Amino acid sequence: MYRSQKLSLRYYTAAVALFGVMIVFGLLSALYYLYPAMLYNVFDFHMSKIMHIDTLVIWLLMGFLGAVYWYLPKELGIEVEGMWLAELMFWIFCVAVAIVALVFVFVQYGSANEFSMWFINQGRKYVEAPRWAAIGIVVVMAVFAYNVIATCIKARKMTGIMWVLVLDLIPLLAVYLDAFPAVTNMSVDLYWWWWLVHMWVESTWEVLIGCVMALVLMDVMGTSRRIVETWLYIEVMLVLGAGILGLGHHYFWIGTPQYWLGIGGFFSALEPLPLLGMVVHAIYDAGTHRMKTTNQPAFFWITAEAFGNFIGAGIWGFMMTLPQINLFSHGTQWTVSHGHFAFYGAYVCGIIAVLYVAKQQTSGVDMLAGRAWKWGFGLLNFGMVGMVMGLLLAGMAQAFYGRAIGGSTLMAFTSASENAWFVSGMWARLFFGFVFAAGYVVLVYDLLTAPKRVPVTRARLEPA
Amino acid sequence: MDIQDPSFWRAGAISTTLVMIVVLAFLSVDSMSVISVGGRNVPKYDVINHQIGYAYNWSRRADVPVIGGLEPLFGKTVTEAQATDLMRTGKLVIQSRACMDCHTIFGNGAYYGPDLTKSWLDPAWPQIWMPMTGKTTREDAMVEFLMHPDKYPTWSRQMPNLQLSEDEARATVAYLKWLSAIDTNGFPANFGQSGKQP
Amino acid sequence: MTASALLETAALLGLFVLAGGGYGSLYSAGRLWSRPALIRAGGICWALTFVLALTIAIHTPLDPGWKLLILASAVVYAVIPPLTWRYLERLHDEQEPHQ
Repeated sequence: MYRSQKLSLRYYTAAVALFGVMIVFGLLSALYYLYPAMLYNVFDFHMSKIMHIDTLVIWLLMGFLGAVYWYLPKELGIEVEGMWLAELMFWIFCVAVAIVALVFVFVQYGSANEFSMWFINQGRKYVEAPRWAAIGIVVVMAVFAYNVIATCIKARKMTGIMWVLVLDLIPLLAVYLDAFPAVTNMSVDLYWWWWLVHMWVESTWEVLIGCVMALVLMDVMGTSRRIVETWLYIEVMLVLGAGILGLGHHYFWIGTPQYWLGIGGFFSALEPLPLLGMVVHAIYDAGTHRMKTTNQPAFFWITAEAFGNFIGAGIWGFMMTLPQINLFSHGTQWTVSHGHFAFYGAYVCGIIAVLYVAKQQTSGVDMLAGRAWKWGFGLLNFGMVGMVMGLLLAGMAQAFYGRAIGGSTLMAFTSASENAWFVSGMWARLFFGFVFAAGYVVLVYDLLTAPKRVPVTRARLEPA
Repeated sequence: MDIQDPSFWRAGAISTTLVMIVVLAFLSVDSMSVISVGGRNVPKYDVINHQIGYAYNWSRRADVPVIGGLEPLFGKTVTEAQATDLMRTGKLVIQSRACMDCHTIFGNGAYYGPDLTKSWLDPAWPQIWMPMTGKTTREDAMVEFLMHPDKYPTWSRQMPNLQLSEDEARATVAYLKWLSAIDTNGFPANFGQSGKQP
Repeated sequence: MTASALLETAALLGLFVLAGGGYGSLYSAGRLWSRPALIRAGGICWALTFVLALTIAIHTPLDPGWKLLILASAVVYAVIPPLTWRYLERLHDEQEPHQ
């Protein structure tokens, strides 16, 4: 095993641990809706929500870093350059995350001054981490970029996947610089904030996970390089072709010109089309490679990713993306429903797949199968679907009663939030949140348990 | 041209991305001119010296802010420089207290508390909080509420006390008044028009 | 848009994409296992997609531009699965002829 793969396992461990923290704070955040007096003036909703959403960003990022450190030496045939720096960065990253988390839990917020921005809480959704920690993330990402580029140079080898990865690192790093300013004008602030959030989540991360999936497909399913690279290029073309101006769907209501209603609506309405192609592709791959795969869990999670992406981003996104609908659905639990499903489909499933790839290769079994992973797979998917259905119900009740009928005032918001449909939706979300948490426990148990040694020949002959 | 050849799609990916980036760059330059302070959609900060309303515009087919005559905040007209200082503090309050991790502004943020885009115009201030706090103006009631939200519960979800100083609370109120004057393409719709649908 | 039109329109838009996805999945599954019945079921799903697009065009208060876009994408939905499938087959035949 390469040294960078050992680092990768550390990143995976940290990522899975933070995944757990994210779930704990997710459940806590869900509880506030049903027991609003809970921890009042001690640890209020906003801090719980910050912990939930920031750990989401960090664990996915750590998962990506882990996946790239895993595949980089395999792809280029040499050890990763500058490993000592990468290892140092891992520990700095972990310590920084721990300090920020402690500050969020115990200090929570400061006064209206620059000190608070630098050391306590920047209060910008997704990038609440104080500036010193944001600089830390820039340094970690810069070292990561150095590792990738220096290894490519040393190996004197550039594959298509590596080109895409290296080029993707530039915007990945560049847009993160937007995590620092505290612009007074909210319209301008949100304009650039969306570059960061959208360009990470709906563009550069999509490309990054595309590269990782390309490597996984070659590895797990034995697909040829030419095929995965062709698909990666097509995916990049479609993701960035629709995604860059798809940014417009965040510019409907922040003070920006009216033409964004047309541009944003048009490009996000196109998004289901490539996702449909990906579903067809997933079924094709499932059919042609199912008999050959020796890693069942990874295979199922990859397939779940295609369907999750189609449903979460495609169906859920299309329901609410046209401006006439979005005027009422934007900023309700409907958005939360879409957000949960889309993140899960696009990224979580993919990262879990790479975790299983690592599990198989570290344990050295020919065939990864068994029963526990199926429970994890079932509970996590069932939990997620249940949560988003509950949130959709709650969000539709809000859009209907609070927005369209009630007129968006405080009283409208209040009465919509006390509506029986809304409350039932929130209970459903909590219940399925626990189902999801149970799935997480099984997932962790399965990842940590040594796999059974199944003779590969027999397993391959099992019916599909 | 062979669509089986990866290089065909590579060229497609590069050219599509570049075209989109160029278009986005042009649109961003234009958008900045519209959303900068004093631009077409975002008024100058000293708009807080004026009365602000929100009414349906039939030609735009959307609700738009209406800037009326003088109605100084806290009864005192401010200069542009003073207004800018207030806004800077107000924005720092919103960030330092992580307001947008409970509330939304322009629908962005978190969904535990109500949207603040037009909160300055919310009928709840004169209807509920002015009598509750014993204050005679909307802005004074807002300051009192922001400083001691735990003293004025209105429903099961209560805003926590985030230790706002009086200056911070006043700056926040100024910021919320300015926010309500931004043209948001009609978001939120039907504000304060319960039951009446265009 | 009225409150009930809002929910109806959103539901129709969601069902529209869902039906499109159903078509793509059934068509692909039919091709994979060479089951014409599944391909036919896929065809019914696409017909449903188109009917939903028409319903959106006739029944909802969306602006004409969006209605046109939805009708056009219903047509594009029809060709995506067969085109993608054919492309994948050609790509794999060329790359992995021994399989």
